[in-house]
Amino acid sequence: MTEISMARALNEALDLALGADERVVLIGEDIGATGGVFRISDGLLERHGASRVIDTPVAESGIIGAAFGMAVAGLRPIAEIQFLGFSYPAFDQIVSHVGRIRNRSNHRFTAPLVIRIPYGGGIGAAEHHSESNEAIYAHTPGVKVVVPSSPADAKGLLLAAVADPDPVIILEPIRLYRAIKEVVPEGHYTVPIGEARVLREGADVSLMSYGAMVRDTVRAADGLAADGIDAEVLDLRSLSPLDHAAILASAVKTGRVVVVVESHRNGSVASEVAAVVQERALYSLLAPVERVTGYDTVVPLKRSETHYIPGVDRIVAAARRTLEA
Amino acid sequence: MALEFFLPDIGEGLTEATVVRWLASVGATVTLDQPVVELETDKAVVEIPAPRAGVVLVHGGPEGAVIAVGSILVVIGDAGETWSPAAAPAPSRRVHRPEAAPIVGTLEEADAPATVRPPALPLVRRLAAALGVDLAGVTGTGPGGRVTRSDVEGAPRGEGEVERRRLSPTRIAIARNLTRSWQEIPHVTTYAAADPSAILAERSRLGGAVKKMPLEALLIAAIVPVLRGHPAFNASLDGDTLVLRKHYDVGFAVDTREGLMVAVVRGADHLAVAALGDEIMRLAGAARERTITAAEMRGATFTVSNIGAVGGGYGTPIIPLGTTAILSVGRAEDRAVVRDGVVVVGKEMPLSLSYDHRVIDGAAGRAFMADVVAAFEGVGR
Amino acid sequence: MDPLRLLSVDGGLLGDAPIGTEEIRRLFAAMVTARVFDRKGSALQRQGRLATYAQFEGQEAAQIGSAAVLRGDDWMVGTYRDAAAMWFHGYTWDNLLLGRMGDERGGAPPPGVNVMPPSITVGAHMIHAVGLGWAEYLRGSDRVAITYFGDGATSEGDFHEAMNFAAVFATPTVFLCENNGWAISMPRERQTSSETIAEKACAYGMPGVLVDGNDLLAMVAVTRDAVDRARRGEGPTLIEALTYRMGPHTTTDDAGRYRAGEDVEEWRTRDPIDRVREHLKAIDAWTQGWEDDVEAAASVDIEAAVERAESLAPPSPDAMFDRMYARPSVVLEEQRRSLFRDEGGTP
Repeated sequence: MTEISMARALNEALDLALGADERVVLIGEDIGATGGVFRISDGLLERHGASRVIDTPVAESGIIGAAFGMAVAGLRPIAEIQFLGFSYPAFDQIVSHVGRIRNRSNHRFTAPLVIRIPYGGGIGAAEHHSESNEAIYAHTPGVKVVVPSSPADAKGLLLAAVADPDPVIILEPIRLYRAIKEVVPEGHYTVPIGEARVLREGADVSLMSYGAMVRDTVRAADGLAADGIDAEVLDLRSLSPLDHAAILASAVKTGRVVVVVESHRNGSVASEVAAVVQERALYSLLAPVERVTGYDTVVPLKRSETHYIPGVDRIVAAARRTLEA
Repeated sequence: MALEFFLPDIGEGLTEATVVRWLASVGATVTLDQPVVELETDKAVVEIPAPRAGVVLVHGGPEGAVIAVGSILVVIGDAGETWSPAAAPAPSRRVHRPEAAPIVGTLEEADAPATVRPPALPLVRRLAAALGVDLAGVTGTGPGGRVTRSDVEGAPRGEGEVERRRLSPTRIAIARNLTRSWQEIPHVTTYAAADPSAILAERSRLGGAVKKMPLEALLIAAIVPVLRGHPAFNASLDGDTLVLRKHYDVGFAVDTREGLMVAVVRGADHLAVAALGDEIMRLAGAARERTITAAEMRGATFTVSNIGAVGGGYGTPIIPLGTTAILSVGRAEDRAVVRDGVVVVGKEMPLSLSYDHRVIDGAAGRAFMADVVAAFEGVGR
Repeated sequence: MDPLRLLSVDGGLLGDAPIGTEEIRRLFAAMVTARVFDRKGSALQRQGRLATYAQFEGQEAAQIGSAAVLRGDDWMVGTYRDAAAMWFHGYTWDNLLLGRMGDERGGAPPPGVNVMPPSITVGAHMIHAVGLGWAEYLRGSDRVAITYFGDGATSEGDFHEAMNFAAVFATPTVFLCENNGWAISMPRERQTSSETIAEKACAYGMPGVLVDGNDLLAMVAVTRDAVDRARRGEGPTLIEALTYRMGPHTTTDDAGRYRAGEDVEEWRTRDPIDRVREHLKAIDAWTQGWEDDVEAAASVDIEAAVERAESLAPPSPDAMFDRMYARPSVVLEEQRRSLFRDEGGTP
């Protein structure tokens, strides 16, 4: 059993999906010979051929629109958009068609496609390469949105997305692609879409996060533990549907909630989590819900990026505020 | 069976259309989907096809008429058929009921104190409610004076079985106003008894069989001259300044289902007794019907509270905020009284006057009261 | 570039007829039937029984002539103005009516009918025909996909992406542009300064054909070539069918605000149905009685479809929750309960 990175785990998942089901095709920019800008599809063109791993012209609407048509016709396409900030040309396809065909055809046609999109900052990339606008897609009916935070979850969620009868957007945290290694189960397995996971049990405060921020959230919990504060960490994993039951169970248990996201604050997933908690668990709260988020600014470029992306200190400070209440 | 065709919304959000031209006159035979009328909407001129074959019985309006969406545009039936409009249901009309304006004192002074509710989490409030702990009596030890869970757990609890009832909004406002008055104004109350014979005789004289003269009219009419002679009683205290009012807007208390409200007779010094009576009856009726306006309850310069009707005797009336005094008038009852050195049975009307001791001394209070007694006893003379 | 034409305006044959007389009569009857539906659709809207309706009058040959050469299992992706083509390819009148009444069940054609519900957004759907055809090709099937769109849609970025993808990957896709002269109020000249839309195909490396869209026989001929080519795996074709939108954009539009009536009158002389009737008359394959019968039968069919669509009980209030995913999520189930809590009733 060797430890592998998230990039490797995703590659394994794609390889397994291509091998297991001939309806699966990969489609995207530079995913063939190059193996994708993050090398997630490395080696797959060689193993599965050009009719299964399809390099396209530079056209995001074309990629999603064509993958949509393929899915309606019975294939199981896995489309890659290179960065979340490049998904906007395909936004109309996702919102107006991918997320609606089941509804507008009353189940007669469906679009079981997977859209893989690297997201988030922390690697000092160029402008538009560090976006964390997942709330836009979580707000979109008819698609599911999942965000893994570990290699094992990445593989399991991607395989679950391929098997799902509905369109799934999987947002892959760029800065965790190679930052974490762990032993990942071999072979085919799935992580259920729509289920959060308690990463760490705790009694004093619930830290809820997903994707790239999970690593910092766990570190914050470690820091709090050194001061005798017992923090629970919940990895939401699925933003749409959101696991209300897990959120509420943790909120009721500790009475204090800190939601940690990398995205802009206004209308964020953190706002939705806070709203769910106040609607359903207000009388169990010992403190107001805290949101630790990026700001409502454009994500700054490399030299200022660390001021935007919430760090361990901001998470710890927010947790302490809830304990002072 | 005639088909009543109601004008549909034919243009995505239109509300009406104008009849340009009838293409089928009343009595004409039309086939299914044959154009019957040309309409102009905000978006286009359109022809409306007949929704059934038959004879045009009725046009919804002449050329040039504006037809509302949902109104009858045309009625098509069979030859020889007649049609008359069904009894239309009365349009439902929403009755506007003004929110009852609660009052003791006047609205402009009814602002809530800065903090009426000590800061505490919902969780702590619920715990306090369950334990019967009044949060207002708990000193918060949390940040910013917040009441914490342990503050509540350590606080004295109510004993025995209790039922907790939230006050009505009106009652809450009354409670707040009274609390503020009582806390802000150092009250002194002085008492006197007046012989009501004159006032009751005058009341009988003025009142008819049908229309009763309200006692308040006679009381207010008698008291306005007294207020002129004692300007500090028709005043308010604004910080360190006494504001002497040169107008006489006299409040009187009305007992309503929601509690005591004060209605204000404007320019009482300009009204004859009969007019005062009419105005008082009008305001009291409005207060009970809850149609009284906020303006009609604001800005009293002095208040007379007649508690006789409910059997009241002496009491300690609370001065409405924004004024310096209030007179409470109890029920006139038979008492052993000394008249001309002899103890006899006579009527006595108990009077209780509260005044703001910050601006009115005891001697001034007693002098005002003596003049009030004299004025009441001299009514009609 | 002159448009291909096989029937003159007065019905004279200008070349070899691509189909026999019986097939011409069948397609003529279909065009007549489609026009009955179109007029009924407008009337129903004026009677408040349909929401917005988009007339296709004048475009019957472009739609029926092209749909006629498809195989039953081929894909079709059209727009709100393509009811004639969709119906001819198996979409039912009932479904077309239901969709316009505001009922999602209208979007579900019968099993085996590979016609997507009409696209309401302009342009995005052309790419779907690329993906549909491509999937068939990858799976080893010889089904093709045809997409219908207007001249206005060629200004959308998605036209470029669709044409480019189709050509690069040689997908079995037929792009059928019904150039009807108008995109709501904007004339064709304001959409592109190309002389024709067909010539745009050249830049993508695919054949482009200009055809008289009001000529049934020419439509059959060029579409059959394009479909055959796609089925042989030789890639996509762009067809520009020159036609005219005789009515307003939709029932909420007033074309009088932006165009003169003379154009409409001029185009009326090139009516696609009249032209075929003249041709059939000339070869003694038409009688007034026959056409009256066709029209009467169409009316009976369409009135029956209206009756069925209108008598279908409205969807249950919570049907929307069931249409979003294969299985509603826990969150949607909660929202379903809240709907019944707020509106009364039981799930």
